[in-house]
Amino acid sequence: MALLEVKKMNAGYGDADVLRDVDLHVEEGEIVAVVGSNGAGKTTLLRALSGVIASRGEVRFAGRDAAGMAPDEAFGRGLVQVPEGRQLFDRMTVQDNLRMGAFRRRDAAAVRRDFQRMYELFPVLGERRNQLAGSMSGGEQQMAAMARGLMAAPRLLMVDEMSLGLAPVIVERLLEVLTDIQKQGVTVLLVEQDVHSALSVADRGYVLERGRVALTGPARELLDDPRVKEAYLGL
Amino acid sequence: MLVLQVLTNGILLGGLYAVVALGLALVWGVLDIINLAHGAFIMLGGYLTYYLFTGLGLDPFASLPLVMLAMFVLGYLIQWGLLNFLVRAPMFNMLLVTFGIDVVLTYLAQIMFSADLRTIRPAYAGSNFTVGGVTVPWTNLLAFVVALLLTGLLALFLQRQRWGRAIRATAQNLGAARLHGVPPRFAYALTFGIGAALAGGAGTLYGMVAQLTPYVGVPLTAKSFAIAIIGGLDNPLGVIVGGLVLGLAEAFGSLWLGPTYRDAVSLGLLVLVLIVRPTGILGRAS
Ligand SMILES: Nc1ncnc2c1ncn2[C@@H]1O[C@H](COP(=O)(O)OP(=O)(O)OP(=O)(O)O)[C@@H](O)[C@H]1O
Ligand SMILES: [Mg+2]
Repeated sequence: MALLEVKKMNAGYGDADVLRDVDLHVEEGEIVAVVGSNGAGKTTLLRALSGVIASRGEVRFAGRDAAGMAPDEAFGRGLVQVPEGRQLFDRMTVQDNLRMGAFRRRDAAAVRRDFQRMYELFPVLGERRNQLAGSMSGGEQQMAAMARGLMAAPRLLMVDEMSLGLAPVIVERLLEVLTDIQKQGVTVLLVEQDVHSALSVADRGYVLERGRVALTGPARELLDDPRVKEAYLGL
Repeated sequence: MLVLQVLTNGILLGGLYAVVALGLALVWGVLDIINLAHGAFIMLGGYLTYYLFTGLGLDPFASLPLVMLAMFVLGYLIQWGLLNFLVRAPMFNMLLVTFGIDVVLTYLAQIMFSADLRTIRPAYAGSNFTVGGVTVPWTNLLAFVVALLLTGLLALFLQRQRWGRAIRATAQNLGAARLHGVPPRFAYALTFGIGAALAGGAGTLYGMVAQLTPYVGVPLTAKSFAIAIIGGLDNPLGVIVGGLVLGLAEAFGSLWLGPTYRDAVSLGLLVLVLIVRPTGILGRAS
């Protein structure tokens, strides 16, 4: 059974729908990429899944109905988002940002272990744990945002546009981390404009165009698809 | 010697002022509400302490936690039942609603408590000690210590406790706080409740060193506003600076200009700060 199953989702802002009849599913343990150009509706999809905006259609998460949840409830169920633009708590330390990731967790010992793990995954965060998040570089902030999301012990981590504005080496590092955490059992929904990077780590992918799923399939096949090559990879 | 005495009075008053403004600054910083009923909450806390003392013989310092608890519940309910429906409403609407609460509370106080002057005077009121020619009243000193204690406790709570962090997170980035499991309505009600509890505690202390009437609320709100502007909203410890600045200004203002100008001093200071440094002496105001 799929971890996340979305059927005929419609969502938008005010009267205008951005997403139209989106069907999507994510299996336990997968990395699934959602790609598309600016304004295709990728962020809108994540907002609807997190309950930040209202949506119509069917959503099931971990076997239960998950339509119309409030964001804090979605988070409580393990549907965790690393939002576009990082959205750190700028005037809190790195460590306090990570603590906010673990806000709903009561297993103190496991939380301590996860802190250790995060500082191993991202040594720079360990070095700067007492620095204010807002004063770090863009790449460091993205790492902090990822670590904050992971501190929630997510069942599904939804990462929005993590490569934006980052140097290729840092993007490489973040992608490695995603495959690492996949091996540790975390399922990932990766939203990206950087189509090549996203599809190179993903198992499957969806191409969104103007709020609709235009193409879907195994990531390998999408990378080789002439339509994807032409429209997104500039080949 | 006179200068030393005035300095001491100013510092003791300043500590009290810090806790007077603490709740207003917290609520303003987190909820973006300038709570015009803040002074009325202080007034209520003062009367509650007064009646616990005259009715049950409860020492005001002992009643402080009770008063704070009662005011927390009141604040929580007001936020949950009323203000939560208006959060992120235009500033003007919020001012209007909290002004309404102020009017209602003042009016009720007038009916229930009468307009007579009240002071809470336990047996040790009026006793003092002298160091180096400076007279220090015990009550004022104790009130000063408790005020600093409450301020420190709030700072610790916000810094170290899980819900304290959640409140700061909500203040800094509402969207991200929601995405990390903080239910905003509860965080808001908690914050407003804590603000009211601190106002209640401030009322207990205020009632021991000054006279209570149903009308003390408005000038206390105005002073709290001035202190919050001076101290900034980011750090509760800022109100200590703001409180001391105001306390000292009032003490020396009374000395040099005469006691009638005491309130004019705080207003003048407020105007001055707003002109010179609209973000407060210590930093970000909102
Ligand atoms: N808060 C909003 N109010 C109204 N319209 C919005 C809002 N946010 C996004 N939109 C619109 O919804 C559409 C989809 O936006 P969305 O942010 O989901 O795109 P995206 O695929 O994430 O793009 P990008 O790659 O640039 O992040 C766009 O046309 C955008 O203008
Ligand atoms: Mg986007």
